Amino acid sequence: MPIETHRSEDGRVLTIRIEGRFDFSSHQAFRDAYEHAEPGVAQYIVDLSDTTYLDSSALGMLLLLRDYAGGDGSSIRICNCSGDVRRILSISNFEQLFDID
Amino acid sequence: MSEKKPHLDEEALAELRDVMEDEFPVLIETYINDSRERISALQEAIGSGDAEECCKTAHSFKGSSINIGAPRLGDICFSTEQAARASRMSDCANYLSEIEEEFRTVRELFRDRFGAGD
Amino acid sequence: MQTSLPQTASLRILIAEDSDSDRLILTRLVSRLGHQVIEATDGAEAVRRFREAKPDLVLLDALMPRMDGMECARQIKALAGDELVPVIFLTSLTDAGSLADCLDAGGDDFIAKPYNRVILAAKIQAFNRMRVMHRTLTQQRDNIRARNEQLLDEQSIAKRVFDNVAHTGCLDAPHIRYYASPMSIFNGDILFACPRPAGGMHILIGDFTGHGLPAAIGAMPVAEIFYGMTTKGFAASEVLQEINQKLRRILPTGMFCCAAMVEADFHLGQVGIWNGGLPDGFLLRRAGGKTVVHSTHLPLGVLDPDHFDATLVYHMAEPGDSLLLMTDGVLEASGADDIMLGEEGVRSAVSAWGSGAGVVEHLVDRVREHTNRQPDKDDMTLIALEIVEEQEDTGFAATLGQSALQGPVQWACSYEISGPTLGRFSPLPLLLHVCTQVSGLRRCSGAIYTMLAELYNNALEHGVLRLPSEWKASAGGFARYYLERQRRLCSVEDHFIRFELRHRQTDSGGELTITCEDSGEGFDPAQTGPHKEDGACYAGRGLMLLQELADEMTINMPGNRVEVVYHWQAT
Repeated sequence: MPIETHRSEDGRVLTIRIEGRFDFSSHQAFRDAYEHAEPGVAQYIVDLSDTTYLDSSALGMLLLLRDYAGGDGSSIRICNCSGDVRRILSISNFEQLFDID
Repeated sequence: MSEKKPHLDEEALAELRDVMEDEFPVLIETYINDSRERISALQEAIGSGDAEECCKTAHSFKGSSINIGAPRLGDICFSTEQAARASRMSDCANYLSEIEEEFRTVRELFRDRFGAGD
Repeated sequence: MQTSLPQTASLRILIAEDSDSDRLILTRLVSRLGHQVIEATDGAEAVRRFREAKPDLVLLDALMPRMDGMECARQIKALAGDELVPVIFLTSLTDAGSLADCLDAGGDDFIAKPYNRVILAAKIQAFNRMRVMHRTLTQQRDNIRARNEQLLDEQSIAKRVFDNVAHTGCLDAPHIRYYASPMSIFNGDILFACPRPAGGMHILIGDFTGHGLPAAIGAMPVAEIFYGMTTKGFAASEVLQEINQKLRRILPTGMFCCAAMVEADFHLGQVGIWNGGLPDGFLLRRAGGKTVVHSTHLPLGVLDPDHFDATLVYHMAEPGDSLLLMTDGVLEASGADDIMLGEEGVRSAVSAWGSGAGVVEHLVDRVREHTNRQPDKDDMTLIALEIVEEQEDTGFAATLGQSALQGPVQWACSYEISGPTLGRFSPLPLLLHVCTQVSGLRRCSGAIYTMLAELYNNALEHGVLRLPSEWKASAGGFARYYLERQRRLCSVEDHFIRFELRHRQTDSGGELTITCEDSGEGFDPAQTGPHKEDGACYAGRGLMLLQELADEMTINMPGNRVEVVYHWQAT
């Protein structure tokens, strides 16, 4: 399974882990990951430690998550980006929309 | 032929009667007429030494005999077919008299049992 | 037994059997299963009846006179074509070789004599299922094929429409080199270039997220806005704002356009660049060295208009310098080993080239070398713009569509903007629009726009904002100038700039008088006036240009009101 989710003990944090390529083929699985989660999530963490590649449709999916999570009021952290993945996020200036580390 | 099969296959005949219903006598009639033609064809083929024609006719005769529920006749046809294929035409002539004899028996049985075939 | 089988639809079944009694039995068996029987007594008749009656399934005796079962099966299969018509051999054949011959001839199965009605029913059932499945698959395949053809058709029409919209600009100008791969349009790449009325041009290069038609369709409104607004004299940042707002409204969340906008002004020797999500661009200096143009903005269509920042970064550029921009298809180009060319690959290829717009071909070659691929598999767009002397810049007027309207000849108007509007709104497109209603002025809209722009910029930057033009002479000052301009624009509450336009007919054509007055303290034309030695002085150059274009120019003291008169000749 290339996309795994993990819910914190208190249920407030949903971590979505993407393994391998994060591109259009992950579209449905990524959406399911947050849309099928039980309500009560206050923060989302997108863990990219095992993500080898990210394309512009993945950026689009991140924007969809952001919308789902409340747009400007959302709290989404993108973490453990590799150099390449990080560079793609920076080219599109996603730091302005997401908390990236 | 290791073991001689019965003249009539009762089970097959019962099934045929069930399927054909009141057309059953027509079927028997048709079979008898077909068989007569085949026997003439066999006589002619053997007489002129035409192994291929003999083989084909014996094969067809075998099929319809098995279907009608006359397995012993089917078996003799099969032997004839094989002999013809191997061009043993004198064997074919011998089998032909067996066929003629068995056909007479089957026809009589049909007539006795079902009042059909003549 | 029969009841446990699912209900079979009534089929049309051809029975070819030379033995009358066998045919009688089989016909009866098949009829009792609820099917319609078509009879044939030999192979030739079977083929004929097949042709006439188009049965769904064929029961075929292997040995028949006048064409045996094998040949009959072959012909029936050939007649059936794409349709699956199961052929089941009726046989008392026993040797494996003969049975194999039946299958080779296209037979699908056997039924041995004596016939068993349960087996017969089951086989007909099974083959009917296979036949229906085959038909469904064939129909689906045909549908897909037809759909695909239709799609290709539509794409080629869409491409023609798209080409008409997208390629009305000046991509063919001699100082532009570009490469747009055949795949790129329908993967959402865009590349537009359009001359500005005042000279110079706008270039927009971009890449929509996604693939295929959904990605390509967003290009249409972008092209319309880009060409429409640029032609009317709107500034690059205004064009960007409009495009962003439009895309934000029409694109679903998650879809956006990574893009870079270029505002090239050959007269001022500067390029303004806005990069939102495209890979690094490069300003290649003729003298060697390069300036990297990073992406500093979110892509178009992501942010609300309130949060969108359309500020361009301005660079001084000299003739011989080139600006190179590309979509990420260049970086992502990968060969059989799946290794992408990447930022480093692009950077080293660019460094190896030096300067000049030929860098496009150089980089395309480099990509080919890396991917070892056929050109038509590429998915990338690149453009290089060479900075040229102003005279070499191809004229704008030539590209303007001609209108049959004569338009007004005798009119006057006054237009004033004041307060915060000064920083937010450019009156130039509107004023140009008013002027170009006069058909004679339409032909010289470049000159009109330049005069309006020089008057306005002079009034705004030097009159209202009091920016010293000397700053722009150095690279450091250049940046400072634009920063300071932004800052000071925030406090212009009490200021105004007023244009008065007057037009009248003359014997030989017409006369346009433009007056521009501002609320600033004015300047001393004797001091700021045309310095022959100091070409870098912006205000000086502006006034020089006005003097050149206009037939008369008057500066009213204290220097906050300038009037120019322009004559045009009827052709």
